[in-house]
Amino acid sequence: MFRRTAVFAGLAAIALALSACAPSAPAQPSPSATGPSATGSPVADGELVVGLVLEPDNLDIRHTSGAALEQILVDNIYQGLVTRDEENKIIPALATDYTVSPDGLTYTFTLNEGVVFHGGQPLTSADVVASYTTVKTDATVIGNREFANVATVTAPDASTVVITLTEPDINFLFTLTTPAGLVFSAADTTTDLKTAANGTGPFLFDSWKRKDSITFKRNDAYWSDAAQLAEVTFVYIPDFTAGVNAATTGDLDVLTAVDPNLAVNFDGTDFVITTGKTTDKATLAFNNKKAPLDNVKVREALRMAINHEAVITAVGSGVEQFGPIPELDPGYEDLSDVVSYDPEGAKKLLEEAGVKDLQLTLTIPSFYGTTVTKQLVSDFNAIGVTLKIENVEFPTWLNDVYTNHDYDLSFVLHVEPRDFSNWANPDYYFGYDNKKVQQLYADALATTDEAQSEKLLAEAARIVSEDHAADWLYTGATLTAHLPKVTGFPMNSVNSRINLANVAIVE
Amino acid sequence: MIRYILTRSALLTGGLIVASLLIFLALRVLPGDVAQVIAGAEGTPEQVAQLREELGLNEPLPVQYFSWIGGVVTGDMGTSLITNTKVVDELLEKAEVTIPLGLMAMGVALVIAVPLGILSALRRNKMSGTALSVGAQGVAAVPVIWAGMVLILVFSLWLGWFRAQGFPRAGWEKPGDAFMALVLPAITIGIVEGAVLMRFVRSATLDAVTRDFVRTAAAKGLTRTQALLRHGLPSVGLSIITVLGLQVAGIVVGAVVIEKLFNLPGIGRMLIDDVGARDLPLVQGELLVLTAVVLLIGFAVDIVHRILDPRLREASE
Repeated sequence: MFRRTAVFAGLAAIALALSACAPSAPAQPSPSATGPSATGSPVADGELVVGLVLEPDNLDIRHTSGAALEQILVDNIYQGLVTRDEENKIIPALATDYTVSPDGLTYTFTLNEGVVFHGGQPLTSADVVASYTTVKTDATVIGNREFANVATVTAPDASTVVITLTEPDINFLFTLTTPAGLVFSAADTTTDLKTAANGTGPFLFDSWKRKDSITFKRNDAYWSDAAQLAEVTFVYIPDFTAGVNAATTGDLDVLTAVDPNLAVNFDGTDFVITTGKTTDKATLAFNNKKAPLDNVKVREALRMAINHEAVITAVGSGVEQFGPIPELDPGYEDLSDVVSYDPEGAKKLLEEAGVKDLQLTLTIPSFYGTTVTKQLVSDFNAIGVTLKIENVEFPTWLNDVYTNHDYDLSFVLHVEPRDFSNWANPDYYFGYDNKKVQQLYADALATTDEAQSEKLLAEAARIVSEDHAADWLYTGATLTAHLPKVTGFPMNSVNSRINLANVAIVE
Repeated sequence: MIRYILTRSALLTGGLIVASLLIFLALRVLPGDVAQVIAGAEGTPEQVAQLREELGLNEPLPVQYFSWIGGVVTGDMGTSLITNTKVVDELLEKAEVTIPLGLMAMGVALVIAVPLGILSALRRNKMSGTALSVGAQGVAAVPVIWAGMVLILVFSLWLGWFRAQGFPRAGWEKPGDAFMALVLPAITIGIVEGAVLMRFVRSATLDAVTRDFVRTAAAKGLTRTQALLRHGLPSVGLSIITVLGLQVAGIVVGAVVIEKLFNLPGIGRMLIDDVGARDLPLVQGELLVLTAVVLLIGFAVDIVHRILDPRLREASE
């Protein structure tokens, strides 16, 4: 199969790409929004080229945060005892099954037989114990905070792992689906995890050309059903337009994170576009500790001033979100009754609060562009609030906003699932300190009854929204463009997970 | 001449030292650091503090500066804090894209500037000469990024002659593909830089045309064009060499923008990404190398100029 098409002068790349892409594919039915419509048998040694946006800094998923690493390494290279499916449901991975004691304090896992690391070391319960003990004891390892109430990690025998907690934590299994729960080889002391990898997953890390691409090869010694694809290349294209150009001129089989405003460029090509859900919360944070934003009336006025429909239209995709919990997470409920678009009401509220000629600064990392800020400037202008935009690099945002809490308003996409804990943490950059919310959140974690936990989370989320602690401009949707010959490519949360185990190329 | 070279070498060394200090200090002024980037928006203050300690970010600045320079002098540019790879290896890998790109851009600029510059000087009193001159003014003012977008639209998306973006993963193992991938980006930089250069060529040519020796030759029966080509060009060539030295800086800046637009894995794109990650050892090395290249070319141009131009030699001896 063609991986890349060399383009010769005089030959149209488009025509070439079309001829290269589906030489013997049957005529395609019109693309549906539900995903692949290809029929046929999988190619035995398919090679897939996927376009991504954010390149990781290194391969050390234990010490480096960010979705870029999780997106490609989890499920493909590294595995944990459990993982999550596309609907964010927890499913077994290295464990065949697990039990949780009724008091929610003891988790017992049984390991699959015959699991082998890429380096040849057989997986035993000792590897799990070593990996999780490191997370628990080393503060620089991602997930250390989430492992705070882990009491013991023990291995009664080679295929059993028992974890005990000091107090119940209904989120603990979910924590194990994050990088904190990945299992590394205790016997392997030589691999530099920054530049190489040694996991148990269906793919092997093959090579990395920095600022260009990362290549995986199939792991033929995989402990379960081997992957369909022989090779996967992730090409990193930070510029959205360049990404679309790469796809339409035949360099890619799949492009993730398609800019909705550029999707029209795929009209008339073979590409099928799917729209997936995410937990990306477009968060307009208010500095709750800083006057006049410490006044709930001012915060409510700002929320009422925002025309959310117009924001989503400008961004090109996404759904409205009226509280801190997005639809894919437990505790979600529709909070559209809390606030509505009402510029006149917003003006009245500002008057009541005794605020005149309000001037605010919005700090926003520059890679989010100007789509959202333009809308906010004009919306706030309409109620007499002057909004100054400060575009900064991400490290500057981390320093000024995240660490020093030195800001009025801030905009970032919070992509992590189940991150309501930030609203129960008074030291977080939101500066939101509400004892009731903190108590409800603690109770939601401590219960062993999932339905009860969701109810408590929903209650806490409503309070946060009624306090107008922030505005959630929208929940992001993610657009993926793929050729019809690619089947099984995930649709949801593609920005944080791309499980390739069941992806195939058919002909 | 020897004395001149020694003086220029001392200046070059001094320039590099000043540049290294400026680079080092300017990067320390940036808010945020690599420890925060690694810990990300989920990291705790304790995590960040521990990372800072491990990465040596708590060392006093003079200590950090001298350990960097000490390494550079012995050929060790340092190691990236994030990727754990050697700065030298990163630079060499990315130079495979940026150096050919720069040379090709320079070639395009010369091919455009020299004939058109001479032509517009010779026809300065005719419509065509004026049109060329005005056109060059216009093109020189075009932002490189816009020129790039237009070229991608026309030659990649409409005509399909070139790739819209990217560099073959096999690199120069497939010389044909690699060369083709750089043609459009090189033309983009070359057109804009060529327009700037053309104005220099034009004024150098005008200067030569009015020189005594060209006039004398013309009086002996040669046409003015023949006289210029035979007797005036050497002095035009000298002016071009001088300006080319200055153009290198423009091409480097162009490469930073263009590598991003065309998604080329070169030094320019690496620079932007590494500043964004606050991977300061990498950025320091990259900037120092780029500065050294610009300064060295300036140095070489001065020496060559002196050797070629008898008047300058006599002035100093």
